[in-house]
Order: sequence, then C-alpha cells, then structure tokens
Amino acid sequence: MTILIKTVSRRAIVRALAMLPALPLLRGLPDSDPDEIVEVDGWILKRSDLA
Amino acid sequence: MIFDGYEAFRAADFAPKACILGSGPAGTTIARKLSAAGIPVVVLEAGSREFSNDSQDFYRGITVGDPYFGLDVARLRFMGGSSNHWAGWCRVLDGLDFAPKAWVPDSGWPIGRADIEPFLPDVRDILDLPAFRPDVPVSDEMRWVQLIKSPAVRFADKFADELDRSRNIAVVLDTYVTELAGDGKRVTGARLWSNGRDAGSLAVDYFIVCTGGLENSRLLLWSNERTNGGVVPNAAALGRYWMEHPTFEGGNAILADYGAFEVDAVNEAFFSPTLSAMERLRILNFGIRLVETPYPGVKRIIADLACVAPDMAEWTSSQLSQNLRCAAQLHVAWEQAPLASNRIELSRTDVDHAGVPRIELHWRKSELERRTLLEGLRLFGATLARKNLGRVRIADWILSGADYPTNQETAGNHHMGGTRMGTDVTTSVVDADCKVHGMDNLYVGGSSVFCTSGQANPTTTITALACRLGEHLGKVIAN
Ligand SMILES: Cc1cc2nc3c(=O)[nH]c(=O)nc-3n(C[C@H](O)[C@H](O)[C@H](O)COP(=O)(O)OP(=O)(O)OC[C@H]3O[C@@H](n4cnc5c(N)ncnc54)[C@H](O)[C@@H]3O)c2cc1C
Repeated sequence: MTILIKTVSRRAIVRALAMLPALPLLRGLPDSDPDEIVEVDGWILKRSDLA
Repeated sequence: MIFDGYEAFRAADFAPKACILGSGPAGTTIARKLSAAGIPVVVLEAGSREFSNDSQDFYRGITVGDPYFGLDVARLRFMGGSSNHWAGWCRVLDGLDFAPKAWVPDSGWPIGRADIEPFLPDVRDILDLPAFRPDVPVSDEMRWVQLIKSPAVRFADKFADELDRSRNIAVVLDTYVTELAGDGKRVTGARLWSNGRDAGSLAVDYFIVCTGGLENSRLLLWSNERTNGGVVPNAAALGRYWMEHPTFEGGNAILADYGAFEVDAVNEAFFSPTLSAMERLRILNFGIRLVETPYPGVKRIIADLACVAPDMAEWTSSQLSQNLRCAAQLHVAWEQAPLASNRIELSRTDVDHAGVPRIELHWRKSELERRTLLEGLRLFGATLARKNLGRVRIADWILSGADYPTNQETAGNHHMGGTRMGTDVTTSVVDADCKVHGMDNLYVGGSSVFCTSGQANPTTTITALACRLGEHLGKVIAN
C-alpha cells in the first residue's frame, strides 16, 4: 500500500478523489461552453479549468 | 494663536465671528479657509497638544449590536483629532456614490461629485497627495481603482506653526464644548468645560461643529435634549443612518500575472464594481484589496485548487517558479446600507466627567451588505476568470452564511452619518451647504454629513467638503 502511494503521484490521487463529486454534476450537460463560469467548492472557475 | 486653556484665550480679548468645535482635519481645514477670507475664528479643542488618558476617557461608550471597536480607541481626543493615528489611505468618493440608487433605500446626496471637484487641488496640498488618477476598467463591470497611501498628514504637526502665527485663528486647547444653546432659529452660545471645570459660555455669530463622526451626533443630541429641540429643530434623523466600512477577508486569488494590474509599493491593488454591475446585481459599492500571500500560503491555495481543477493548479505551480508573487488574499471593505436603525443614542446610565451622557452606538450590518460581499466576490472572480487574469476562491464562512469572523479587521474606524445631508428633514439633518435645517448659524463639518458611505476611506472627502464649507462660510460671513 505504502509503495503504491509512493508510485502514484499525489496530484493523480487528489484528482481522482476530489473530482468524484464534481464530475456527475457536469456530466451529461449538452455541449457546454468552456468559458462558462462555474463555482466549485468556492472557486470561481471556467468550465475548461475542470478538464 | 494657540492658547493652552480658555482662561488664557479670554484674557487675550480676541473677538471671533465664528466658532469651530474641534481641531481635526475638518475643523482645521475650515478654520484655515475662514482665515484666508479674513474672518476671525476661534477653534475650541477639547484635548490638549498631546494624548492623555484623562482626555481619552471622555470618548468611552458602548456598542449594541455587531461587535465593534471600543469607542475610545476608534478615535483620538487631542489637537489634530484622529489624524494623529490615521493610516493616510486616500480616495475621494466615486461619482456614483452620490447618485440615488433605486435598490438602496435612502441613498443619494443633494450634491454630486462635481460640487467637490473644484476643491481637490486644495485637498492634495493639505493631505500631501499625488495626482488623483481615473479608474481603469478591467471589464464592463469591474474597475481598477487608485487608493493613495499617503504620508498620513498629522494636522497638528503640519499646521501648528501656521495656526500659532495666525492673527485670524485662535486655537483654544483643553476646552470642551459640553452643549450648545439655541432657540430653534439660532445657536446662542456654547457651554464650556476647561481645565477640569465649568468655564462659562461663548457667544459668536456662527458655530461649526467638527467634533468627529460619532461626537457630532452626541453633542447635538445632548444640546437638543437640554434646549427642548432648540439646536436641531428637525431632529428625526439626528444620530441616525450611522455607517462604517465593514472590512473582512473574503478569500484568495491566484493571479496569472501579478503585473497585469498596477500594484503599489507593497504589491497591493484595489478593485471596485461599476454602477451597471451594482445595478444588475442590486448591491452596494465595495472595494477589493489584493494583498500578496506569503509563499507557504500560496502552496496551500494551490493544493486546494488541485482538488477541483488539477490542470489549472499544475499551470499555477509552473507559474510559481517563474513569479513568486502570484497569489493574493482578498480583503473586502464595503459600503453600508444607510439605515435609520443604525444610530447614536445618549446613554441613560453613564455620563463623562463633565456630566454629558456617553454614546450608546446601535450598529448592525444588513442583509444587503452580506449579499454585496458574496455577489461582489463572485463578480470579481468571474471577471478574473473570463479575462484569464486569475482565479478566485471565496472564503467558506461567506459561502456557508456563517457569522462574521471575530478575529479580523472588522471595520475601518470610519464614522459616517448621524447628521446626514439632504433636502428631506425627516431623513437628513443638514442641507447641501452643511447648515442644520431650520437654523441660521449652525453648520456641521466632517463625515457625519455623509448620506452614503461609498467604499472609499472618508478623510479625503471630509477635507474636500471642509474646503467647500469653509469657502462658502467665508462668503456668508463676509456679507
Ligand atoms: C486607526 C485609524 C485609522 C484611520 N485611517 C484612515 C485612513 O487611512 N484613511 C481615511 O480616510 N481615514 C482614516 N481614519 C479616519 C480619520 O481619522 C477620520 O476620518 C478623520 O480624522 C475625521 O476628521 P474630523 O476632523 O471629522 O474628526 P476628528 O479627527 O475626530 O477630530 C475631532 C476633534 O474634535 C475634538 N472634539 C471632540 N469633541 C469635542 C467637543 N465637544 N468640544 C471641542 N472639541 C471636541 C477632538 O478632540 C478632535 O480633535 C482612520 C481612523 C482611525 C481611528
């Protein structure tokens, strides 16, 4: 387990965990505008930031 | 001439036409203007040349409502007033601040920014300011604004020699005006307390109250109570519509390039909304101050961003190695809604050493302000994102609607309203010339006449209004 964590980058873990709640919200939206402003966990982002 | 007490002044046989109460920025500026017009004026100053605990004690009071500073630490009671410890941040109220706004009850001034603009060159001389610069649009809805961090002129230091040499101005220290007497048309005299005892009264043709944004209301409320309405005959708004600039940390920003905006010597930049944004969102004016975040703080913000936008965070990390100055805290200060319920009252239980009731300040932030804070940060965040200038994260307590933090800046020590300017006697105390409604010879100087607070620190506008009032009175008295 420890070895596994060491070999997977922190960023990948964080991404995998943290994107879970955000993705279902965004999935299924019709051809969304990448410049659209979205608010995720207090961050004011462009939809393209979530790629 | 400067006298250390009222006895010495009386012995000098100086015959003033006007009496100014208070030697802070407002009182000193008006005195200099009257002197320039050749009008002999006496400035009665409650404190002495230096700070003293005894004098400061007269300023004690209590606040009911939201947490606020001790009223004896939010101002200074000696020659020069609160200019002895102000920070010197300067900006004139925006033109839009003077305009009535349909979505803000009781907003709008009877004068516009154009009425004080002719006095701005004087203001620059008085406050030692560089040129005022126009706003720079960031978008249709946000603008970069200039906030001058001036050398913070201490009025007593800068003008003491001039006042001392003056043949037209007599500054009388240690002379507290405990109340004004009046008959509902004119003020007939000022009751004095000097060197710890009653010092009789002074009668002159004109009185100008410049005792600060809390004390102006206190003095007039007490004078009115003692004279049964003889000093402020239309007193419905007296002490009311009191305002501050609440100031809290609103979140963080990651900036694509700190050089995208003009920053000052300590890497800070200031932003405000346009009138159309305020109208669209139905919010008040506000100022966002970008404050550079120290490096460990930057790492935390990026880790947080990685949780929601990993690519954005990776990009930011790479920027970090090129430019360490790329994250900022967002401090927000905002305009308060002018509410009659935010008011100065006289204490029923506590008086100062001269027997004058102390202040009971009733002060609460409103729902409109809470919305201004949240929508303002959203607007700023969306503006930065759309322009690819950066990304903003709004603080959790704002999003969750939690109580205001109690360990932050809280407010600006800016005391506005209480004797506001207007044409309607039910919602204002002075007219567009700062003359108390219904009184022939009573005027008010200082931010207590502000109808709305805008988001700018008040003293630049106080000084401009004082120049305007001084020149106006110079003509009135000369005729
Ligand atoms: C910590 C702090 C920082 C600040 N920073 C800024 C800033 O960066 N920018 C800004 O624009 N503003 C700032 N301010 C606010 C600024 O100090 C005030 O707006 C300004 O001093 C108000 O000027 P004034 O002449 O109306 O009143 P004051 O400066 O309060 O002067 C009133 C004078 O009247 C005297 N007095 C009071 N009662 C009586 C009486 N009954 N009889 C006779 N005399 C009396 C007092 O002793 C005092 O000298 C700050 C204030 C504080 C406390």
